[in-house]
Amino acid sequence: MTKATAKSKPAPRRFLESPIAGPLITLVAVTIFLTIFVPNNTFLTMRTMSGIVNAATLTGIVTIGITLLMICDEFDLSAGALVAVGAFLYGGITMNGGSPLLAVLAGLLVPGLLGALNGFLRIRTGIPSFIVTLGTQAIYRAALYVLSGGIMLQTVTELPVYKVFNGRLVGLANAIPDANFRTSLFWLLGMVVLFQFILVRTRFGNHIFAAGGNPGAAKATGVNVNRIKLMGFIISGLLAGLAGVMLFSQYKTARIATATGEELNAIAAAVVGGTLLTGGSGSVVGALLGVLIISMLRTGVVLMGLPSDNFVAVVGVTIVLAAVFNYWIRRKA
Amino acid sequence: MSNSGNDTPVVRMESIVRRFGTITALNNVNFVVNQREVVGLLGDNGAGKSTLIKVLTGVYPPTSGKIYMDGKLVEIPTPREARALGIETCYQDLALVPLMSISRNFFLGRELTRSLGPIKWLNIPEMDAQAREALKDIGIHIRSPREKVGRLSGGERQSIAIGRARHFGARLLILDEPTSALSVGETHKVLTYTLNAKERGLSVIFITHNVGHVYQVADRFVIIRRGELVGSYAKDEVSEKDIADLITGEREK
Repeated sequence: MTKATAKSKPAPRRFLESPIAGPLITLVAVTIFLTIFVPNNTFLTMRTMSGIVNAATLTGIVTIGITLLMICDEFDLSAGALVAVGAFLYGGITMNGGSPLLAVLAGLLVPGLLGALNGFLRIRTGIPSFIVTLGTQAIYRAALYVLSGGIMLQTVTELPVYKVFNGRLVGLANAIPDANFRTSLFWLLGMVVLFQFILVRTRFGNHIFAAGGNPGAAKATGVNVNRIKLMGFIISGLLAGLAGVMLFSQYKTARIATATGEELNAIAAAVVGGTLLTGGSGSVVGALLGVLIISMLRTGVVLMGLPSDNFVAVVGVTIVLAAVFNYWIRRKA
Repeated sequence: MSNSGNDTPVVRMESIVRRFGTITALNNVNFVVNQREVVGLLGDNGAGKSTLIKVLTGVYPPTSGKIYMDGKLVEIPTPREARALGIETCYQDLALVPLMSISRNFFLGRELTRSLGPIKWLNIPEMDAQAREALKDIGIHIRSPREKVGRLSGGERQSIAIGRARHFGARLLILDEPTSALSVGETHKVLTYTLNAKERGLSVIFITHNVGHVYQVADRFVIIRRGELVGSYAKDEVSEKDIADLITGEREK
């Protein structure tokens, strides 16, 4: 078969084929737009940027797990409820003088276990995860209400463990004026690096793409698709728990309704970040970009002097546009 | 080939029964593939071809019946086990993941890794190089091993699946409807790869309902109708027309 070996593709084409091409272009476009239209040049300032980043970290952590799950063609609508579960366990234990280590473990592992339950129900019943987790998110919040008696946790005590998970970076703020970053930024970046590596450089990551891209082919080559999906649900639960731990560390308060709707923000960020709703394609770096884009818009709407209620509509429009744009780029590439 | 002159069949399936609930998809089917033989497995839609192959590849373990490989009784409870025994399947839709690259597909489930202590990661350069070499070895030239499989034509996809099977030491290659969606030129390529595979010592099961395609390459034809074996015919015993009649039941044996 004499097919001439074509030369490798030109750089622009290769860039467009990358899963982060769409979100990167969107990020640049949104930045340029807001830089021009936000009055008094307040957008590209350290103060605004650190605010945008801080507002993105919690959703960012949740979005990483959601992205992994969406790549293997599953959803987790219970992620928001699991953030609340993590925040309650961690907050409750630390406030009552319990061991910080125990608090962190409980805040991570219990949501992880509940994630495993999501996966188990999905796999055993064959019911789509969209429905399974629509049910479990209500169950998890109701259980939280019953077990906690519906109280709101609140503390003013500053514990070292709170500073570790979401303290202000005072040194940095002193060195650079208005750089109000928090330690949550490092947790987010750490998780992005870790899961980007897992996704594109490990066997498990390869199998996540295969499980979502063509489960039949994955099974035929000996990939245990159910095990991969179960792991995806557990990771999503663990990361939601971590977001809960970070949330309580920052605000030192948690209610039953904490992080309501966070799962939808995360799905929106994943889609804006180039993850396909139909599975098989996506990226953790893209998820990070998606979260930043939405956070920028949220801040931008306020800075432009629009009533902040408009934020919801702006995000809605962005999601639709970004999804259309990402699909269009893929077809072009 | 060390196998030449060896007349123990590669695979012998004996009295295979497979039921799904109350439906009997396969009823007491016997099926043999000899060394270096291309067998055309024919039957109408729903006749049981696919079920028979799924029994052989561990997707649906049989309700009853025995499977021998090289004369030895084996159990094939999972696709992984089938592969370990040297049975490779190229399903038309199930062989490859369109959104993944050629080399990631090539090594799916058998990825090459490097490790440092407990941390293991994919050896992507090595997988790219080996995939390219293995495909070149059977006459398939690819543009780039990083190219997404979804961009390839149907014939190219089949050829990648065939190249992969050969690279991983398959003894028996199963091609499930490899040509049904292909143009004439692409079909010709796939048939050429099939004969290449046979020349290199593999046995091939070629599943199709297109008699014309399989007639060119098969040594023997096995026909299934409504879950039962109609018969097995050497190429010189039957014409294309005979086979077509046997498939539809126009003619009984």
